[in-house]
Amino acid sequence: MTEPGKLAAYLIILLAASWLTSPAWLAAGLGAVLMLSGLDAGRLLRRALLATAAFSGTVSLAYMAYYWWQTRSLPLDWLLTVNLRVLLMALLTFLFIARVDLFQALAFSRRLSFLLVLAVSQSLGLKRTLEEFRLGLQSRCPRPAGLRARYRAAAHAAAWLLDRALANAHESAQAMQSRGVFR
Amino acid sequence: MHIPDGFIAPQMYLPLYGLAAGLWAYGAKRVARELDEATLPWLAALTAASFALSFIALPLPGGTSAHVTGVGLLAASFGIWNAFMAASMVFAIQALLFGDGGVTTLPLNALAMGFAGALAARGLYLALRRWPIVALFAAGWIGLCLPSLLIALALGAQPLIAHDAAGAPLYFPFGWSVTLPALLIPHALLGLGEGALTVLGGRLIERLRLRYRND
Repeated sequence: MTEPGKLAAYLIILLAASWLTSPAWLAAGLGAVLMLSGLDAGRLLRRALLATAAFSGTVSLAYMAYYWWQTRSLPLDWLLTVNLRVLLMALLTFLFIARVDLFQALAFSRRLSFLLVLAVSQSLGLKRTLEEFRLGLQSRCPRPAGLRARYRAAAHAAAWLLDRALANAHESAQAMQSRGVFR
Repeated sequence: MHIPDGFIAPQMYLPLYGLAAGLWAYGAKRVARELDEATLPWLAALTAASFALSFIALPLPGGTSAHVTGVGLLAASFGIWNAFMAASMVFAIQALLFGDGGVTTLPLNALAMGFAGALAARGLYLALRRWPIVALFAAGWIGLCLPSLLIALALGAQPLIAHDAAGAPLYFPFGWSVTLPALLIPHALLGLGEGALTVLGGRLIERLRLRYRND
């Protein structure tokens, strides 16, 4: 299957999974995706759990408390259905990320590919530097930085980021112009 | 915190995809008219900046932090369509490359944050532009608060639009009585930090633009 085909298949399966409301079907789907993941199943399942735990956990705990307060019982059907669905859909996405090259999948549009490559490469570079700034602040403060220091750090990081982004735009424009990319 | 896939019912996200697709097509057309060596890297850089801005933590008392969206700043400085297209690209990249957020929640995020947030921020910025600092602050504040209102409305509508025969929710379980205060109150306060950062960022962008224009 071609990469654009895989992208289409992923989107169709994701759409189908979002309609499922039966825990049995959702569990079967989860089993099937884990089997498809092969040796990566454990790693992908862990990533999917980590990516969804904060939101799903917060909503599930809050709803359990609310439901218990109202009915003195637990919403087991809801908990099972929604958490299985969320996990299945997240696992599908991580399997897609692991197996499909998004850049190839979007290669049908030259300009979209250019935009994606430029945006992703710059995003990763900026993200890495911001992480270095965060570590820099941490390493320079013997105790956790105070509110004032953290505000100053955030403001300086944002200023650097905007400066870098505009400089990147300027440099990329010159580079593309000199190579005649759009001619 | 991003909403993962599975909490928004297809009865809502499919029509939202339809609406978002129309706006993406129109936005792409507008951008594509000028999509050349100068505008394509510009849009890519805005996307990257918008993506990276979300990693900047806005410190809160008590040692916790919230994250900047940058939508107000992008809309005030670069216009609605640039902000909308950049924010949409960011949501797509986060969902499809990093598994952060969801593909089914993408149109809700793009419409609420990228479009409505940008529209309100740009509108307020233009209405108040005689007082640049107030205008930037208001753009940052509304660019965060209006999307949170829309997302609270969308989440709170889930039990109404998708429930079983007994009326039990099948997707997000809480109604508006919970989602509206839960999202609006913290975001109204966080908006103050976003507004302050928008003032700093907006003034900096003006200076940088002049510098790069003169290079």
